[in-house]
Amino acid sequence: MNKFLKALRTGWEFFVLFHQGTFVDKNMAVVRKEAFDINDNLMLLLFGDYLGIPNPMSYYMLELLPYVADELEPWERRIQNRKFIIAEKAAQYDFD
Amino acid sequence: MKHFTFFGGKGGTGKTSCAASYALSLAARGVRTLVVSTDPAHSLADAFDKPIGFQTVPLCPNLWGLEIDAEVEAKKYMKSIQDKMLDLVSAAIVDEIKRQIEIAYMSPGAEEAAIFDKFIELMESVGRDYDAIVFDTAPTGHTLRLLTLPEILGAWIEHLIEKRRKAMDLMKMAARYDKPLAERIANDPIILTLTARKDKFALARKYLTDREASVFYFVLNPEKLPILETARAVELLSKHGIAVGGVVVNKVIPPDAGPFLEKKRLSQEGYLQEIRSRFSPMTIIELPMLDDDIQGMVQLQRISALMGGLDS
Repeated sequence: MNKFLKALRTGWEFFVLFHQGTFVDKNMAVVRKEAFDINDNLMLLLFGDYLGIPNPMSYYMLELLPYVADELEPWERRIQNRKFIIAEKAAQYDFD
Repeated sequence: MKHFTFFGGKGGTGKTSCAASYALSLAARGVRTLVVSTDPAHSLADAFDKPIGFQTVPLCPNLWGLEIDAEVEAKKYMKSIQDKMLDLVSAAIVDEIKRQIEIAYMSPGAEEAAIFDKFIELMESVGRDYDAIVFDTAPTGHTLRLLTLPEILGAWIEHLIEKRRKAMDLMKMAARYDKPLAERIANDPIILTLTARKDKFALARKYLTDREASVFYFVLNPEKLPILETARAVELLSKHGIAVGGVVVNKVIPPDAGPFLEKKRLSQEGYLQEIRSRFSPMTIIELPMLDDDIQGMVQLQRISALMGGLDS
């Protein structure tokens, strides 16, 4: 009996993880990607002057630097390597 | 008397003399007054014939002076950011970021923004350290930009906050099963910082558009171009909700000036008529052309009685 319960629990855990991985995480990855995209665009508005896009208030944006200092370099690399935005979007929805 | 009095106008019309003598008249009435120059090319010290710098100095009983130095203010601001950064990120990244700070420091608008920050700081000090602040502003174009800055930037920053909030909402959705991450998102420092900045702009705007607290006076000469420029500036300021209390007509040639200036005086007469009809509901004060430069306390006192008429 004990053995049966144990197997049942293992089976249930497997099912939960399978469900998480198949439905939740996959969908959430789309949401997360969307969030990162919006954030990247926001960074462009905040620190566009590093890429040569003038910003009316780059002086005030400096006070945000301490909080985004770690993200800044990868963001710069990402944003400069963007070549096919449509392909990028398509990949997000499994159309690649 | 209003808490904040601004003197503006075309370059060379006598803004500084007017601001200084008006401040003197306030101080003589026992009002604790601070006279501030926001013009990057300061001349307040010359008007008082006393050294004034980026730190407040007492000029006479009840009167203090200050010349805002954009560079000093900007350096202070950068320093505070670098200090904060050292607490949050590693020293290696700080070095990398220093480069970015340098870029922003050189960017157009940095000087204006630095002056504006100091400006807000001073406005907040009214009631505590001073009863009134008299601003000797830069020539018209620069000042109009400075005063309309909060409205424009307020809208821009609103948009940034909205965008960040949207990203954060999505992150929150994705982090439903990740408690610590969700908590960190709720206290997002970027939204907090942007909101603090927005509130500061809103405060400046509240002070500037409050007709009980702030008033703007234009200084002009009885000549064609200053009249046209002043008329345009008055229109723009009222469009942005800033009250214009009146105009000070400086360098009016007195009738007993003699034959050499008589022709000039007659043409001024015409322009004075035009000024009176154009700006009539507002207070109009006429200052005579003096035979000497206005420099030093004694000279300023000569016109401060006339400038005191702005409050009546």
